[in-house]
Amino acid sequence: MEIVRVEGLTFTYSGFDTPAISDINLSIEEGEFVLLLGPSGCGKSTLCRCLNGLIPHFYAGKMEGRVLVAGMDVSKTPTYVLSQYVGMVFQNPENQLFSLTVENDVAFALENLGMPRDEIRRRVDFALKAVGIEDLRKRSPFELSGGQQQKVAIASILALMPKIMVFDEPTSSLDPVSAKSIIETIFKVKKELGTSVVVAEHRVELLADKVDRVIVMQKGRIVKDGRPREVFVSEEMIPYGVPVPKVVSMAKGVNRHFKVFNEIPLSSEEFEQGIRRFIHDKVR
Amino acid sequence: MIKFDNVTYVYPTGVKALNSVSVEIGRGELVALMGENGAGKTTFIKHLNGLLKPTSGNVYVDGKDTKTLSVAQLSRIVGVVFQNADDMFFLPTVEEEVAFSLRNLGFSEDVVQRRVDWALKFMELEEYRNRSPFLLSGGEKKRLALAIILAWNPQVIAMDEPTVGQDSMQKEKLKEMIKQLNLQGRTVIISTHDVEFVAELKPRVILMSKGRIIADGKAEVILTDGELLSSCSILMPQVAATMSRLADLGFNAKVISVEEAVRNIVEGLRRLEHTRRA
Amino acid sequence: MSILEGLKFYAGDTAIHKLDPRVKFLVSMLMLIIVVMYAEVWMLTILIAVQAAIIYVAKVMRRWLKTIKGSMPLAALVFGLNAIFFISTGTYTTLQEVFYHSLALAYRLVLFLSSFSIFFLTTTPEEIGLTLTSWHVPYQYTFAFISAIRFTPIIAQELRDIMDAQRARGVELDRGGPLQRARKFIPILVPLLANALRRAYELAEAMEVKCFGAAKKRTSLMELKARPKDYAVLLTALVFFGLAVYYRLFPF
Repeated sequence: MEIVRVEGLTFTYSGFDTPAISDINLSIEEGEFVLLLGPSGCGKSTLCRCLNGLIPHFYAGKMEGRVLVAGMDVSKTPTYVLSQYVGMVFQNPENQLFSLTVENDVAFALENLGMPRDEIRRRVDFALKAVGIEDLRKRSPFELSGGQQQKVAIASILALMPKIMVFDEPTSSLDPVSAKSIIETIFKVKKELGTSVVVAEHRVELLADKVDRVIVMQKGRIVKDGRPREVFVSEEMIPYGVPVPKVVSMAKGVNRHFKVFNEIPLSSEEFEQGIRRFIHDKVR
Repeated sequence: MIKFDNVTYVYPTGVKALNSVSVEIGRGELVALMGENGAGKTTFIKHLNGLLKPTSGNVYVDGKDTKTLSVAQLSRIVGVVFQNADDMFFLPTVEEEVAFSLRNLGFSEDVVQRRVDWALKFMELEEYRNRSPFLLSGGEKKRLALAIILAWNPQVIAMDEPTVGQDSMQKEKLKEMIKQLNLQGRTVIISTHDVEFVAELKPRVILMSKGRIIADGKAEVILTDGELLSSCSILMPQVAATMSRLADLGFNAKVISVEEAVRNIVEGLRRLEHTRRA
Repeated sequence: MSILEGLKFYAGDTAIHKLDPRVKFLVSMLMLIIVVMYAEVWMLTILIAVQAAIIYVAKVMRRWLKTIKGSMPLAALVFGLNAIFFISTGTYTTLQEVFYHSLALAYRLVLFLSSFSIFFLTTTPEEIGLTLTSWHVPYQYTFAFISAIRFTPIIAQELRDIMDAQRARGVELDRGGPLQRARKFIPILVPLLANALRRAYELAEAMEVKCFGAAKKRTSLMELKARPKDYAVLLTALVFFGLAVYYRLFPF
């Protein structure tokens, strides 16, 4: 079932001459895990903000084409309605947390919507559990590490129970171990709750084997929309500066001497499996 | 060039950030300082230009005790680029930002002009000369921060988390610039979490944890030591992690570059082929 | 700034901490009114003894004492100025009277601060926010108050980082006369403000995404529930307050 539909979308920020994104067409289904790739300034962040109404309600500019979220036209629907379908998590966890305890922060959006207290309590419990941070419930956000803060930010959006979560470079300001933890949390949420996920990220090593679909953008346009192998393995993506997971380069290198991999691996596990299978077959 | 002699530093809050640290960094070396958050990396860097002076022990920069010099004096020798470039900018144009530091350090006007031209050219910021620093993109801001520090030609450049928030092409460029600076004879010290970036640079790695130096050696040795890395919450670079999974097959797992890994695997597979035939 | 130590929240599990913040606020107010009514050392001493007892139960003695200590210079100033005033205008003629009355006024100042201290030491900013909301203060103000508390440590750290970054460029912040130092504030102030604006923008985006302002009637996860203990404390305080007022009006 389709959750988001983008038709012929072009957006130019007010005060600028060139559009930030041009002629974007895409459709996102329930349960999809999409990776959005592209160099800084390619329009990833702009596209993300078009999916939940921040554009055009929060950012001024000229918008052509349309975006439908669960059938609703984004430009005609208030953001607080859209936020309950499309959740958004930003780069800097510090600037997404408002309260003095984790519990209150996760409740923040629900309080703003005027939900009854027991409904709020239920959803807070649910969100803390889904993200795996029940033990942080009474802690204060500024005592927490960057990774923990980002998990609180995720929980506070999950509390709204959106059908699709959009992450704009969520691990950018985190160290690698926290980044891995956040990606795993995102993947866990997607698997256990069936939420669709769109992640704009550079750290492909952690995501290559988990995503269903990769969209590559450049200069405001979508230049490729396909399965992970089509993007990371094919040579045609090289000029677009798409970061390639190291295992892909390794596998291609090995394949030049021995035809080890029929399907190029996207993770260490897949690489290991491929080598062992090859050796096992050869020995027999 | 840089010498830490049994340095201990305790913050006013009571946190002991450096605990009996002793290390020497020679002129022209390329060093990566690694360790988990709170290991003491930033505290270490702040001792290089005198922002912090040791609670006990001594830090020597080019033979001089940092306790005897001011931050401005030390900054001439050690240029420190902090993580958040936005913490520096306050002037109307890029050119003025670069010139500001030079004037502060007392250079004459014609020298200032020459150095500004050189720095902007080296960091590829010529076209932004008259633009406001606030209007630059994230990557450009980082380049400007580096340009500002490079302008007065310090012998030592220390960068705190230079790769955070950069996309792969920007990181490539940064890598090239660091190599260039090092080739020009400068001592370059980068404090970073980014194992992949370090794996590509192959510098000397100093690994810190809880205020102490727990390892100091070649990148190939330290970044392939699984136990060591996990004790400081650092992930192994993907190449090394993949190879370590295959260690039991007899491939040399102590590699961090793609080319070496491929070579080792291919050699290993050839050996297996031979033994099978034999 | 040790004076401020007694005005920051200090966590604890004591009976005082558990009291309803509204009651604590009202009790502090009642004490303040008594301080205003009485410029007599004996009454002020009774009050301070009561406060000290409360502070002892709340286990925040050290911090409270820090505020008292920090207020000493100001108290000494009040003492001195009033003494001079009394002598020069001839309000009191004997040295004993001048001393007693100046002391009382200085004492009052200390008590003012100390009354506030009890409230702030044992009440979390969140509880203060809830108190304001329960008294129908519009949410925007409570939110602004809580945000200020939330972000002050972050801005303070940013200030330190900016100063370090500028020092590393050769800006010597610790030298020069007052005019020179004032000019050196520009490289500190501009980045600080720029960062604050940038942060405010990001925060506004996050607020938008979290439906801030969506419902006319905002609900809350936490609520303040006054229990019998709270009423008992309030009643006791009112009784003493009543007595104090009565004595002022009809001294026996």
